Amino acid sequence: MKHLFRSFIAILACAALPLAVQSQDKVIRVGVLMPISGPGSYFGVMGKEGIDLALEQVAKTDLKGTKLQVQYEDSACSPLQATNTVKRVLDQFKPHIVIGEECSDATLAIAPILEQAKVVQLNAGSVTMKLTESGYKYVFRIFPNAEQQSAPLVKVAREKLKAQTAVILYEKTNAGNDNAEGFEKPFVAAGGKVLAKIDFGRDVNDFTAIATRIASLGKVDVLPTFALEGQQVRLSQALAQARVVKGGGGSGVQMGSIWLPWGYDQKAGKAAIGYVRIVQFDPTEKRKIVQDFIKAFQAKYGADKTPTHINAHAYDALLLVAEAVRRGAKDSEGIRSQFSKFKDVEVTTGRITFDQKGQNSDLSVVHFVETQPDLSWKGMSWQ
Amino acid sequence: MTDFLTLFIQQSVNGVYLGCLYVMVALGLTLIYGVLNQINFAHADFVTVGAFAAFFTATRFATRVLGIPDTGAYLLSLFSALGAGALLGWLVSAAVFAPLRRSGADELRPLIATIGVSVLLENGQLALFGPIPYQFDSPLARETLRIGKLFISAQSVLVVAVSAAAIAALYAFMRFTFMGKALRAVAQDRETAGLMGINENLVIALTIVIASALAGVAGALLGPVVVLTPFTGASLIVKAFACVIIGGFGNMEGTIVAGLLIGVIEAFTVQYLGSGLIDLVVFAMLLAMLVVRPTGLVAERKEENV
Repeated sequence: MKHLFRSFIAILACAALPLAVQSQDKVIRVGVLMPISGPGSYFGVMGKEGIDLALEQVAKTDLKGTKLQVQYEDSACSPLQATNTVKRVLDQFKPHIVIGEECSDATLAIAPILEQAKVVQLNAGSVTMKLTESGYKYVFRIFPNAEQQSAPLVKVAREKLKAQTAVILYEKTNAGNDNAEGFEKPFVAAGGKVLAKIDFGRDVNDFTAIATRIASLGKVDVLPTFALEGQQVRLSQALAQARVVKGGGGSGVQMGSIWLPWGYDQKAGKAAIGYVRIVQFDPTEKRKIVQDFIKAFQAKYGADKTPTHINAHAYDALLLVAEAVRRGAKDSEGIRSQFSKFKDVEVTTGRITFDQKGQNSDLSVVHFVETQPDLSWKGMSWQ
Repeated sequence: MTDFLTLFIQQSVNGVYLGCLYVMVALGLTLIYGVLNQINFAHADFVTVGAFAAFFTATRFATRVLGIPDTGAYLLSLFSALGAGALLGWLVSAAVFAPLRRSGADELRPLIATIGVSVLLENGQLALFGPIPYQFDSPLARETLRIGKLFISAQSVLVVAVSAAAIAALYAFMRFTFMGKALRAVAQDRETAGLMGINENLVIALTIVIASALAGVAGALLGPVVVLTPFTGASLIVKAFACVIIGGFGNMEGTIVAGLLIGVIEAFTVQYLGSGLIDLVVFAMLLAMLVVRPTGLVAERKEENV
């Protein structure tokens, strides 16, 4: 009787094994490396909100029996911590794809490790040119890179604003450096003059001395600025106090890229008046996919919350993974192959077509806005 | 603003205001070191607690509950930050420093304890308030005073005024009150002060409370200037340590002079060398001071009549 029972159990186990293997095959493991601790943790919080929402939306669709399994890990915007974390994730979780990181320095640190492991890295927040210029085959990025962000600023500065002089302000990181260079080179090549390039660390709090210095340089036509929202608010206020920018009665036009989220203008107040910048995620955009995203976001997180581009990019990243699975991807190579074939895949932040370097080359929804006296955005017809 | 004199005065004004912020953060550090011979690594977090206390008082309690207009709400928040800092200091003193002193702990254990308190406070605030920056606007930060081409925000004037008042109050306390003299006596020689009938535990607790209250007020002044997150205090603490070292450990006059000096040097470094070199210049100054005059800018008096 015991022997019969044991045989029965063994037969059951053997029958279950192919099912277990099959169910393992039907899971796509997504590692998410975001800063969850430290000063950069607000990226991680917003990124997680976007991905959690995307998971809910994907669950309502048909993924051909495949499940997305997401594991969040803290990389703290730090190259060292990101490196240690990604190695541990690769060893223990064995992801098919990693979404991350947000900060360019940490993103660059994990890229070669993921490349070596042949795991796709989908980046939705870093700007540095080095990520897609280093020849990695497994790196894809949906966030516009430094050149894609700075080139339109230069064009508008010279052609629309007739700017002759510029002062470039940027945070002292890979992202800030690349954006600053991305503006300086074409601006000078087009005949403009850069009066100063002023960098500052993320720990700089008071910008009065910087604003005073800029005021002493003479007439400044444009001030392209590449900093996070918190510092940008204080910088704008200092520039307005020094009467350098329009918002303070000066003549200089502050210019910015998609770094700045919705809501910045209200925080900076009158100092933001006349601020010109490019945006990619625009909550006022009428596209159905954008409005549906905002409705779903507010239903989940509160009617008084408007999603930022950080929420939107993270949301899109997860949707793209789901789309790749829908098109037949079963593993990392499959995801990589599908991503390479993506053409005009619509997401909230526009359309996705990856070029040979893995960079999204479609900037069709990127447009300019100018902050009005009532602190609202006005879309400009410049492209 | 191309006139050299105007520029010089403007950057000096910017530097003094910045220096006052550093002094407010550094004063508490130097006070604790002077009496306890100990560095408080949690000081930055006391500053942050003060900033959040001020934020919630000004933007929620004073305006919505008490119906006080903006400026009054912000000024009230300075007092709430002072109270929050003092309360926190008393709690940490009672729960951490006092037991360690009673157990006869060496100097290392309280030092490590302050690191633990710092981690606890930072992560506690992160859990309570989240990492997304808060917008703390003082109505005074929006007002700009102009004299010719010179400009200064009303917030900056407040920072200088409050710093001056805090320094004057502290000086008066130390000079003219019994507890102040007792504090100085304990700082000079704890054992002898005890033999003279001074309750050293009470004095030490009072020192920590005063230092923490100062940190709280520093946070309230900082809030409208910085990006307010649970990591706000950390962005200034390194400069505060530089003030303490350059001024002389435990030397209040030295800390004040050092803070103002660092602020002014920073402003002129931004003007003539670039903001990216601020840290290099300040820490070069710190190293030079340690080599040339390790006791600090202001010489420590060895004897004085209490």
